[in-house]
Amino acid sequence: MTLHQLKPSFTEQSVPIHFPHWRGRIYAILGLLVAFGAIVVFATAVGSVQIPFSTICRILFSKLPLVEINNPAWPGTLETIILEVRLPRVILAGLVGGALALAGATYQGLFRNPLADPYLIGVAQGAALGAVVGFLLPSTWHGMGFGIIPVLAFIGALVSTTIVYSLARVGKTLPVTTLILAGVALGALLASIVSYLIISSGEKMHGIIFWLMGSFSLSRWSEVGVVLPYVVVGVVVILLYARSLNVMQLDEEQAQQLGVNVERLKLVLLAAATLITAAAVSFVGTIGFVGIIVPHAVRLIWGPDHRFLLPLSVLTGAIFLILADVIARTILAPTEIPIGVITAIVGAPFFLYLLRRRKRVIF
Amino acid sequence: MIKIEMQNVCLGYGRKVVLKALTFHVMPGEVVGLIGPNGCGKSTIIKALSRIISPHSGKILLDGKDISQIPRRDLARLLGVVPQIPLLPSSFTAFEIVLMGRNPHLGLFQYEGSEELAITWRAMERTATQSLAERRVGELSGGEVQCIVIARVLAQETKAVLLDEPTANLDIGRQVEILDLIKSLCRESNLTVLAALHDLNLASQYCDRLVLINNGRIHAEGTPREVIIPQNIKEVYGTDGCVYTHPINGLPVVLLKSGNGQPAQTRDGVERGIV
Repeated sequence: MTLHQLKPSFTEQSVPIHFPHWRGRIYAILGLLVAFGAIVVFATAVGSVQIPFSTICRILFSKLPLVEINNPAWPGTLETIILEVRLPRVILAGLVGGALALAGATYQGLFRNPLADPYLIGVAQGAALGAVVGFLLPSTWHGMGFGIIPVLAFIGALVSTTIVYSLARVGKTLPVTTLILAGVALGALLASIVSYLIISSGEKMHGIIFWLMGSFSLSRWSEVGVVLPYVVVGVVVILLYARSLNVMQLDEEQAQQLGVNVERLKLVLLAAATLITAAAVSFVGTIGFVGIIVPHAVRLIWGPDHRFLLPLSVLTGAIFLILADVIARTILAPTEIPIGVITAIVGAPFFLYLLRRRKRVIF
Repeated sequence: MIKIEMQNVCLGYGRKVVLKALTFHVMPGEVVGLIGPNGCGKSTIIKALSRIISPHSGKILLDGKDISQIPRRDLARLLGVVPQIPLLPSSFTAFEIVLMGRNPHLGLFQYEGSEELAITWRAMERTATQSLAERRVGELSGGEVQCIVIARVLAQETKAVLLDEPTANLDIGRQVEILDLIKSLCRESNLTVLAALHDLNLASQYCDRLVLINNGRIHAEGTPREVIIPQNIKEVYGTDGCVYTHPINGLPVVLLKSGNGQPAQTRDGVERGIV
């Protein structure tokens, strides 16, 4: 233990001890990638129309590049069910799950607050208000493109977070506590307006409530095409800042002393996380639980290092929401259950089990 | 090698002014101690030098360059800080914390390679903290956390180091180890060291020069022998410090006596009675 026996350089044996648990996490990412592929195929196979598993695989593989199946032995309706109904729905569920889990992990890291979720600073309430206004508009407005509801939900989400952000700004800095409080307060205000609009919405009430609890029932490739670019760009940007998020866990002063431009980091990450959340919820509604619980589950299993936590959250969130959607559309078929109900019923017990099994500090 | 300079700097929080007309410098290869009573602004100076707060007026220079002009990441490669009460996220391992010292050396598209791991490991060896590497920092004692943070500043490989009460949580053995390490680094690689210290005896033993702060101003500046004198102790701390000379190296030492002039009651009689 004496400092006077300073070793001039590291010994070759001394460093590699730290590689193994990194290696384990890298294997976990690769494993989850494989699992994601398998679950996409599985989720596409499950549905009200029974289709042989081998046919599903052949239909899917025939669409991959470089694969040539000359003699398609399946009816065209099956191909439509697989490729135009089920697959876009599975992919959209994966995108939304990954986006919400990543946004949750980002907010939790940025705010150093385990209670943070993607809806903390007003995204959900803004989106809900936008969507409800969309529902209440006369039906002549609904014909265009994807319909007016996702567009208004997206705008509502961005406007409300921009308001929260500018309210919370003090001079050149953005104190995290002020931001959270402003988000909670504006969220409450918007939520009460939404409640009032729901009560006075008459026969449209059912559709509104279904939207608020989340559903993938109207998923098509066009929706996937809109959500995908946001999620891809957001994921890339956030993953680039994973190391800075680790340093942010110290506190803002130490992070600055270690070379992190804290205010710029907040701005970039808030913008990226808000965009992917807004893009995700505007088509499928404000699905709860994924954004707060998936990052904690990942943290419990693989530790708090954001360089692994963030990608693992994306994959786990995607897999989790795809499976939840499978349950939501099959368990009471042909009736669909709102996916928000399933995420909590399935996710909460599993998370509580993890929490009990690992009895150590997680945050 | 880098020179730290404060020119007529006025510091404070909001409108409140804490320190006025500060002018001093720290040369490469020199350990300068900031001493003064509680709340005199030692930590404020550390914060201003690491650009956490900006001065109301005056200039803070690193090698003649105004620090407000230096980007945060470049500054963190020149100047490392050991904070007073380092708050560390409890679920990270000590190794992961020390590795964060490499952050300013890595760009957005880079990740920690074997070189970063080797530097981190070496920093932990120098502070004798390798055995803690895999432990979660939430399980460590205050002294161990302090050593981890000092290892982190070594891993940062800066040219200047600011220390805010680096020995506050350490036992006397660790105090000497850590300050010996810092002093030897300072001498070997011409590190510029500024340390806010509470303990006047440590300040006297380890610092080449001392800056004594009181009432928002520099009260005295110079070598330990010039600064730690009974008159200064009385004026600044309001207590009759007894300043003696260290029997081995002749540096000033301060011994305390209880305020009422009476020696504390001996327990001799009581103890004898029990045994």
